[in-house]
Amino acid sequence: MEVVQMQRRFAEYTASLFREGFLDAQFTQLQQLQDETNPDFVEEVVSLFFEDSEKLVNNLAKTLDQQNFDYKKVDALVHQLKGSSASIGAQRVKNVCVAFRQFCEDQNVEACLGCLQQVKQECFLVKNKLETLFRMEQQIVAAGGSIPVMEYN
Amino acid sequence: MLFRNKMELKPQVSDTPSQHQQQQKQEQREKHFHVLAVDDSETDRKILEKILSVSSCQVTCVDSGDKALEYLGLVDANHQDSASPSQSERSQEDGLKVNLIMTDYCMPGMTGYDLLKRVKGSSWKEVPVVIMSSENEPSRINKCLEGGAEDFLLKPVQLSDVKKLQPRLLKSFDQSCTNLPDIDPMTTDNSKSNNNATKRKALSPEPSERRPKMKELTVL
Repeated sequence: MEVVQMQRRFAEYTASLFREGFLDAQFTQLQQLQDETNPDFVEEVVSLFFEDSEKLVNNLAKTLDQQNFDYKKVDALVHQLKGSSASIGAQRVKNVCVAFRQFCEDQNVEACLGCLQQVKQECFLVKNKLETLFRMEQQIVAAGGSIPVMEYN
Repeated sequence: MLFRNKMELKPQVSDTPSQHQQQQKQEQREKHFHVLAVDDSETDRKILEKILSVSSCQVTCVDSGDKALEYLGLVDANHQDSASPSQSERSQEDGLKVNLIMTDYCMPGMTGYDLLKRVKGSSWKEVPVVIMSSENEPSRINKCLEGGAEDFLLKPVQLSDVKKLQPRLLKSFDQSCTNLPDIDPMTTDNSKSNNNATKRKALSPEPSERRPKMKELTVL
């Protein structure tokens, strides 16, 4: 595939991720922070997030599985996940967390369990999307091309 | 389409005398403006560290209030409060400079507010403390400002937030740099107590300014 074609595909794919709400402007912020002194910054931060989120989701699953779990503990975990998803611009994950916290406040166990499934799903989806995005970037760079800068702000 | 070339070299800028002075000042700052960043989230620490280093600051990251106090010499490794202020004073005499503390509010154990109070009650009290939080709660914001926080930033923190802080912080820092380099930058500032009242008035509208940013985000 020609570099120009790759770049076009990349631009379209990125646009779709924003359009579908997987990513928000905070992700663009991270891209803008990346420079030649740290060319893998975005990938590194995203990796950290997925390590973090996996631990949090596992912890949530364990907690919600208990007989008399503490809603405060669940809320604290979701709060952390909400924070880090917001930091990388993983908008859909963040939005599920917002709803999740509300259900904790309402002490609605069924809804909480539903949110847990949803948050797992959203993390899985955005992880795949970002992996695809990074792969596309690598292909462009390997072919000697430059990464298009998306103007979304 | 604009292009972001990962291999790009920085363009050469011709040096005029004033630009040269600016560059010298910048380099001085780069060597000296030291930020202690406190956040329990590894993701957020990495992002904040990047934002600060892009802003020409030297950064030290710790993951808790306790670690921050240890770093400042306010508590020993066994988490006993230093018996006397001497340990932290010794750290400062040994040349440990911290020009700004940026701390998350919500942390397990010691909150950012607790850390703020501890710092303000210590020999590091002149160091500005900025608190970051994902919750836009006026009562929390006021509590922090009343507690002596320099500013309160809404998370996720952006480069523009730090850029807004810089002029205020760097003014007194630069003054101290051109004077005796060993003096703590903040003590050469005109009496902080005078400024507190006006500072609070100036600061309290700021958190609400974060709101307009949200409008920008929805324009996709």
